[in-house]
Amino acid sequence: MKKVFTIALALITLASFRCNASAEETPVTITFWHTYGDAEAPVIDELIVPMFEAVNPGLKVEAVRQSGDFNQMLVAALGAGVVPDAARVDITKTSAYAKLGGIVAMDEIEGFAALKDAVLEGPLSTNLWNGRYYGLPLNTSCKAAVVNLEQMRALGFNGAPATMEEFIAAAMEKAPGEYKLSVSGLGDWDMYPYFWLFGGALTDEGFTKASGYLDSAASVDAIKAIQQMHDGGVFTIRDVDGTPDAWDGINSQYAMFFEGPWYPFSDSVVPATIPSYNGRSVSIVGGENIVIFSGSDEKEAAFTFARFMLSEEAQLKLLEVGVLPALKSCVESEAVRNDPKWSVYMNQLSSAKSRILTPQASTVEQLWSDAMSMIFLEGADVWETLAMTAAEIDYELAK
Amino acid sequence: MVAMDARAAVKRARLSIRRKRLRGLAIAAPFVLPGFALACVFTLYPTLFNIRVSLSSYHIVQRSMTWVGLENFTELFTDRGGRISLAIRNNFLYAIVTTPFILLFGLVFAVMINSLKRFRVFFRTCFYLPVITSWVIVGNVFAYMFNPGGAGLVNYALVDILGIMEDYVPWLQRTWTANAVIWILGIWKNIGWSMIVYLAGLQGVPADLYEASGIEGAGRARQFISITAPMLKNTTFYVLVNMIIGSFGVFVQVLMLTGGNPRGTTSVLQYLLYDKSFNLFEFGQGAAIGVITAILVLITTIVMNRVFRTEGGRVE
Repeated sequence: MKKVFTIALALITLASFRCNASAEETPVTITFWHTYGDAEAPVIDELIVPMFEAVNPGLKVEAVRQSGDFNQMLVAALGAGVVPDAARVDITKTSAYAKLGGIVAMDEIEGFAALKDAVLEGPLSTNLWNGRYYGLPLNTSCKAAVVNLEQMRALGFNGAPATMEEFIAAAMEKAPGEYKLSVSGLGDWDMYPYFWLFGGALTDEGFTKASGYLDSAASVDAIKAIQQMHDGGVFTIRDVDGTPDAWDGINSQYAMFFEGPWYPFSDSVVPATIPSYNGRSVSIVGGENIVIFSGSDEKEAAFTFARFMLSEEAQLKLLEVGVLPALKSCVESEAVRNDPKWSVYMNQLSSAKSRILTPQASTVEQLWSDAMSMIFLEGADVWETLAMTAAEIDYELAK
Repeated sequence: MVAMDARAAVKRARLSIRRKRLRGLAIAAPFVLPGFALACVFTLYPTLFNIRVSLSSYHIVQRSMTWVGLENFTELFTDRGGRISLAIRNNFLYAIVTTPFILLFGLVFAVMINSLKRFRVFFRTCFYLPVITSWVIVGNVFAYMFNPGGAGLVNYALVDILGIMEDYVPWLQRTWTANAVIWILGIWKNIGWSMIVYLAGLQGVPADLYEASGIEGAGRARQFISITAPMLKNTTFYVLVNMIIGSFGVFVQVLMLTGGNPRGTTSVLQYLLYDKSFNLFEFGQGAAIGVITAILVLITTIVMNRVFRTEGGRVE
């Protein structure tokens, strides 16, 4: 009997040692879904993930690059309950995932407050829904002017024009009907910068009401100013006029268009701050946030990874391949200040505005496109269309 | 006594019939049950689940539903811009416009290929190639061809080469030109399928009919009108039903070419379903669109069966 007890005790002791050993050996794996591009994905796989794993020995990251409709994939994953631990998602989708209950409020995780103070406020605000932060800005972007220097010279400018007023006047005088400014379509990403530049407003600051803002006299005037530019042959909308795409046309025909930092600039086509109108320049914020999914079993580890992604070393590594950092300290870094492209974009970011932050963002985007189609394609009355759209956006924002 | 015997005999006969039926069922069961089980899992259950979702507010993460009755349907039909009406209109227009072309060209090409002595396989393969080409690839090619500026092949050909038009046309940004492009893509992609079905149908037309009519002096056109077309009535009905029902499944070309724009005027039911579910997260409304599609397909099939009344499986 004594022998049996001794053997049993020895076995239990061995088993417990084995369990402890396996617990120590098995690292926690975090799945991270993203849509980084061809140049960026290798930086994640070959530099950032190994760097993270080196400083966090118990953690492993499985970075999965998704292609196709990422939003559709995430929705399907949420429906099936097979979600990643963390993902890099578009800033316009964050509040929608939060409303669905698919992602966690990050501000309840320890260490969030320090990160919140370290990132740029504009991009951070895109994570706010219902008074809580559901993510952190991972990278940011905005539009700046893409300028063809030769075309500008023909209009009498040495480089980019300082103001929109002088650009419009020069284009009307020296190249009437030649369309020197181009935009692709009528959607929010294309048209908001012009709408804001000419003085338009979408909603109140808290994104609770469009009536009184979108249909205000200033907004009506802004659309009419765009219309005048369009009718005067200065400004072309590819989807309305059937003109060449801005990316093609900027090399031969257009003097300027607005685009993000991903445009392949050259010696003759350079980035510049968007010319001011009535004394102010305006742009639109883009970018991605990192979010943690409610269905994740490794939320803490995922947050550790998010924190690492927002470290200076990770952000600067990604900057090298063209991803604009969301970290305040990086904005002031030499790598940004001395770079002719990044300095323009980071400078422009200070005047960049966010789209309407709401879980109904897709519907609002559709409403805006519809309104612009009615005005620019069907010749609808500007005020009537904006008033109707404002009422519809009010309804969506109240949901 | 006699009555009791008779009752017992009837009972025995009934028992025997029941046993025979059960034996029959037992023999058939292994053949029927796997298919039935698969149909239940992959067709019946999703259908019933979809109907349930269409009558509920569906919370995808929590996988819970709140019963809302017909609210999803009423919201769809009172939606701004009448997108559901536009989508239904476009589905019917797609069916009305594309089906005759698919039938006609499919038949013509099948007859032409059938009359060939050589290169039959080559031409059959050529005409069938669009059917097996990925919708996504073809969609991208069409998007390039109908690019709004001079970079688009069609604009370049019409304006810069042929000089037929003065200005470039933003094909995919205007309601009717965009719908026309969607139709053209549908026609081009489906002609090959209809041609193959017609080719199979043509093999069943007796050659002696052509010989006899030839002796009596009928030309090729007369033979086509009086022999080929009538003999292919059942094939035509089959192609017609498939094409019209298939018209309610149009999706990829709209997604790739227009995204339903401008203002939902090129949208179709399946695109609207996708948009409601995956972009707007209105899963109940998405499911309701699925139910509406099913009802429309059912009504269309009943109407077609009435119009092309059949007798003993043959189209009159």
